[in-house]
Amino acid sequence: MVPHRIEFRYRIMAKRSKISDIRAKHTIIALLILFLILTGRLFSLQVVSHSYYRQISENNSIRMVPIAAPRGFIKDRNGKPLVTNRALYTISYLPYMSDAKFRHIDYLADLIGVDRQLLEEKLNAPIRNRYEPIKLVRGVDFGVICKIEENSEKIPGIIYQTEITRQYPADGYGSHLFGYVGEISDAELRKRDPNIYKSGCIIGIGGLEEEYDKVLRGRDGVEYLEVAASGKILGRSPYRESVPPQVGSELILNIDWKTQCVAESLLSGYIGGAAVAIDPSNGEVIAFVSKPNFDNNAFAGVISEELWASVANDTTHPLLNRACVGTYPPGSIFKPITAAAALESDSVSINDKFQPCYGSMRFGNRIFKCWKPSGHGRLDMLGAIIQSCDIYFYQVGKIIGLDVWAKYSKGCGFGERTDLDYPSESSGLSPSREYLDRKYGAGDWSRLLILNLAIGQGELLVTPLQMAVFYSALANGGTVYKPRLVNKIISPDGEIFKTKTEVLRSLPFSASTISFLVKALTAVVEDPAGTGAAARIPSITVAGKTGTAQNPHGLEHSWFCCFAPVEDPKIAVAIIAENAGHGSAHAAPIAREIVKAYLSSIGVL
Amino acid sequence: MKSIFSIDPLIFVPALLLSVIGIIGIYSTGFNTEIAFYKGMYVKQIYWLIMGLILFFTMMVIPLRFHEIFAYIYYLIAIIMLAGVLWFGTAGGAKAMRWFSIGVFNLQPAEFAKIALVFAIARFLAHYKGKFPSTPGVIVVLALGLIPFGLVVKQPDLGTALVFGVITMFLLYWAGLNSFHLFLFISPTISMIAAFNPIPLAIFIFLLVVSLLIARTDLKVSVGVIIINILFGILTPVLWNKLHDYQKLRILTFLDPGRDPRGAGYQIIQSKIAIGAGGLFGKGIGMGTQTKLAYLPTQHTDFIFSVIGEEFGFLGAVIIILLFTILLIRGITIAAKTRKGFLGLVAGGFVAIIAFQVLVNIGMTVGLMPVTGLPLPFVSYGGTSMIAFWVIVGILTAINRDWRSY
Repeated sequence: MVPHRIEFRYRIMAKRSKISDIRAKHTIIALLILFLILTGRLFSLQVVSHSYYRQISENNSIRMVPIAAPRGFIKDRNGKPLVTNRALYTISYLPYMSDAKFRHIDYLADLIGVDRQLLEEKLNAPIRNRYEPIKLVRGVDFGVICKIEENSEKIPGIIYQTEITRQYPADGYGSHLFGYVGEISDAELRKRDPNIYKSGCIIGIGGLEEEYDKVLRGRDGVEYLEVAASGKILGRSPYRESVPPQVGSELILNIDWKTQCVAESLLSGYIGGAAVAIDPSNGEVIAFVSKPNFDNNAFAGVISEELWASVANDTTHPLLNRACVGTYPPGSIFKPITAAAALESDSVSINDKFQPCYGSMRFGNRIFKCWKPSGHGRLDMLGAIIQSCDIYFYQVGKIIGLDVWAKYSKGCGFGERTDLDYPSESSGLSPSREYLDRKYGAGDWSRLLILNLAIGQGELLVTPLQMAVFYSALANGGTVYKPRLVNKIISPDGEIFKTKTEVLRSLPFSASTISFLVKALTAVVEDPAGTGAAARIPSITVAGKTGTAQNPHGLEHSWFCCFAPVEDPKIAVAIIAENAGHGSAHAAPIAREIVKAYLSSIGVL
Repeated sequence: MKSIFSIDPLIFVPALLLSVIGIIGIYSTGFNTEIAFYKGMYVKQIYWLIMGLILFFTMMVIPLRFHEIFAYIYYLIAIIMLAGVLWFGTAGGAKAMRWFSIGVFNLQPAEFAKIALVFAIARFLAHYKGKFPSTPGVIVVLALGLIPFGLVVKQPDLGTALVFGVITMFLLYWAGLNSFHLFLFISPTISMIAAFNPIPLAIFIFLLVVSLLIARTDLKVSVGVIIINILFGILTPVLWNKLHDYQKLRILTFLDPGRDPRGAGYQIIQSKIAIGAGGLFGKGIGMGTQTKLAYLPTQHTDFIFSVIGEEFGFLGAVIIILLFTILLIRGITIAAKTRKGFLGLVAGGFVAIIAFQVLVNIGMTVGLMPVTGLPLPFVSYGGTSMIAFWVIVGILTAINRDWRSY
């Protein structure tokens, strides 16, 4: 090493070292600034925005799955379960359970008895998520599930899923009473409280299922599942506690199922019909039938488009509730109201006889006929009611006039809903001067319309429910109770809520008028000349009225309304058999059996 | 004379702690429910750590003069290996030729090429006769850096290639190039970014001219700089189209991760979620849902920091940054202390490698940098990386021990 080279090097190194020092400082400062920026960013992510990212990471990894709450049972007045829950099985395919495509289509089709093509279509559809089951067949029965379980190794990837749905009585008995359940529609979803009703949830449709849906449905629980990036569900999330579902409350009805079944089976033979039975002392509805029924079990399960269309387009209208939505001309069962209106307004007395009935009579320039072509002869009011003479009542109608008649008809509650705890009800039609003026133009209608109204024909329309409510009121001396289907609601923790007896109004008739009517109606059944003889029950006094309502669509509707026992009425019934003919022949015997069934059920018979 | 194995605690301890944190992080990826091979991974990493420590002490034994003598040979071997991997190497994902598969081991020559480049440039600058900086000197250094840079870019591995660029630039600065000149060197990249719109490009070139005039730079240099900047500005759109699609996508989604949330943006988004969800103290080992449930990809390598961010929170993240800060400042101090050309430059170069990778890797996990394949030193899973960095700190420790008597 040469000395001056050392010196030379030293100088350079010294210079360089000074440079290095400043550079060192600058480098350290630059480094610290950059690391500070990183730390600042970390702080912003992990402290400032922490909850935001936490939420996203949970949304990534937690899936909320609702746990369906079982609906509450519906039982009859004696505690007999009528509507319960059952399992609905669906066979599905879970792609991730087998590596290759599913090959055993023929075997599966054979095993579960399903068309091979259908399965093929579903299995060949593009798979979006290997962890999402593909539904193959919905609504198979338990036997099929057993077969699937027994042969599971032969069909890898095939699983079954269980849903809960409703079990209703067989043959559609009570189908209108109960309604059914199904998935909520978009229109309904908009109308309801979004906290309770979510898209895809099951709600009650029609009947008690709809009316008491909030009470029956309970509250769905929530399960939080941990899910991996691939979509695979790993199990319950350790971060969130599941919420168990709350079972729905139970409904205890006023309905006596034995009585209901009698009514259901007896009305089966007719094109259409309805029966409503009420306890006159409090308005409790004992039976509530509408025919034809529909298969609400099918509606609650998996209903095919064809079945739904066939029911909806059925000309006998099986979905129409004839007990309280269908309206009919009452015919002669309305004569007691005409009579009472006449008595109460002091226009007529019970002994008045008027012109005798020879089968027809001229009013104005029209001939009005009686149902009995040979005529009834000369009758007083009692006789006219017993034999249901039209001519007598035409004359009564003419005397009292439309306004009086309309006033008492409205006063009884006709033309108004009874407010039954049921989602749909018709108010019927009780014509008045204002109504007729509006419809035809002021005064532009015949003064003879009152004649038809007097015998329960013309523009008068009632529901079987309204008739039952009226005859109940007659039975108990004039109090119109609000009809109720449900007696009690029992919550899952045992709390009992009892529905209250409510008075809608009193009949606008004095006690003496009512007692006369009761006497007359009793005679309709018990008197040898009475039209209601078919309703006689040995050892029980029955009071009632037949009706044969003309209607433009065919044979007359057969009506019968009654109550029994007269001394201490336990049941009032209104029955209509559509297009069946005379009330005495068809509706009356059915009413008799209904009364017998109920009275023996409560031990009176 | 200090004992031959006297270690500098400010270097050794952070490096060891970071390695251990890395092993813990990799261990927790074993809880991942979807990816089975994560389970035994931490064992392999322990093995690499042991190998690293062995090499650490080996570097303590090898005399530093040895490296100075063989610097160019290292460099040559590195170039040959880089060229070799292009022709004979095994492709990893994304068609990148990065590895030699030797039996059970994957050897990434780029890691050692970084070290070789540092030695080569340090050797050159230390023996440079004449004043530095000088144009021919700078050109040689740039050339030394350009060769490995080009070879790695061809793999293609833009991220790693940039490390070579950073080494070159930093060593020029460390050896005496002043900041303004450094700025002049970086100016073409700024032109590149501005090039997508003629107006910003024109403004920048104008500012460049003005600053050159104010600094009274040598005419030849000024003209050269302007020409190069204009060239870069014009050529950038052309070069952009030459980029592989996935690289273009990476840059675009870095700028806007939401653009492709299921693809390239996915990693950045999930990484931020993992880190953010960790909060102050983290979710705990094995409790990170982003990690465990596989929402975070490449968790053991590129995104190991996100795993730690999720499971140990801000606390864990700051500890890692702190450890690196200690390590790097100590490294700079050593590089400044040892004013002996070769050693000071070697130390400086090593610091540049570590600092750059730390900034880019962590920056990527928090969404401040585009996704690159650069591992986090000592922490990321990977044998080559672990061994290379322990070699680096081994040499640093030796420098700290011997600088006075070099």
